[in-house]
Amino acid sequence: MRRAISALCAVILSGCATVPRQYEWGGYETLLFAAYKDPSKVEALTVGLENQVNVLDQRKGKVAPGLYAELGTLYLQAGATDKAIAMYVRERDTWPESRGLMTALIQNLERGQAEGKSK
Amino acid sequence: MRTTTAALALCLLTGCVSQPVKKDLSAFIATAPRSILVVPTVNKSLDVDAPNYVLSTLPVPLAEKGYYVFPVHTTKHVLEHEGYYEGDRIHQMPPEQLAQMFDADAILYVTINRWDAQYMILATQVTVEFDYRVVGRDGTELWKENKRMVYAPQNNNSGGSPLAGLIAAAISAAVTRAAPNYLPLTQQANNEVFYGPQAFPDGPYKVRQAGK
Repeated sequence: MRRAISALCAVILSGCATVPRQYEWGGYETLLFAAYKDPSKVEALTVGLENQVNVLDQRKGKVAPGLYAELGTLYLQAGATDKAIAMYVRERDTWPESRGLMTALIQNLERGQAEGKSK
Repeated sequence: MRTTTAALALCLLTGCVSQPVKKDLSAFIATAPRSILVVPTVNKSLDVDAPNYVLSTLPVPLAEKGYYVFPVHTTKHVLEHEGYYEGDRIHQMPPEQLAQMFDADAILYVTINRWDAQYMILATQVTVEFDYRVVGRDGTELWKENKRMVYAPQNNNSGGSPLAGLIAAAISAAVTRAAPNYLPLTQQANNEVFYGPQAFPDGPYKVRQAGK
């Protein structure tokens, strides 16, 4: 009886205390924090997000809101416009709420590319 | 039997703490935002690094609460591209303009009021304090909260010699002084405001657990 109650207590306490996560973040929060603290860690953030996207692609899991776009922006800041556009497209297709912003970003980049080529 | 019943009652009582006064969430519920734009924070502390640190802690708890959270680094990049670098200037922009720029349903504004460590000989006390405000795309305030968290290392040395206690306290203070633990305190503050009794409701992507 006492054991049953203590087991019940454990269930009740853990039910309230911890918030189980519904997405896998691949260390996004810690890596972003580290990259802001030390700009040489931006590469580690990029690699961390790439790994997370790859892992979820293989498993056909849903990538957390914003992660495709963050990776896209990191690519953009590193000068890889094509890779940036590809990630913005994935963000837009995964999250309808991002459509307005992602479409604007993609169009802006594509316009820039077209102008670059015509020069 | 009586002791076990008492133990169970105590357990049930301590399991979840509820507060009697509830916020008026009618504006939030009527707006029912699906997406939240987290803009760069305003910093009233003296630590120049605080705004980026706080910004990095905000997306995960909000997305886990079921909202589409606009990527904070991308948001910062876009705003900088438009000439908005400082949190102060961004917070002064009309919310309608910001919401339209990102096509966001709601905006979260966070102001850092305190982010400091008070150094004493045998203890270091770390304090963070934030104002949180959610505003709808039409400029209506939907929810707000203030949270202050204080971390003071506990140096209870039960049973040991007084000297050992002093040494332990000095080590603990030195560790805290070398690396004040702002991040866990900030995460704890976020969790309490976004998941506590005064929180706004869950968003559309929240996965309900069986039995709830």
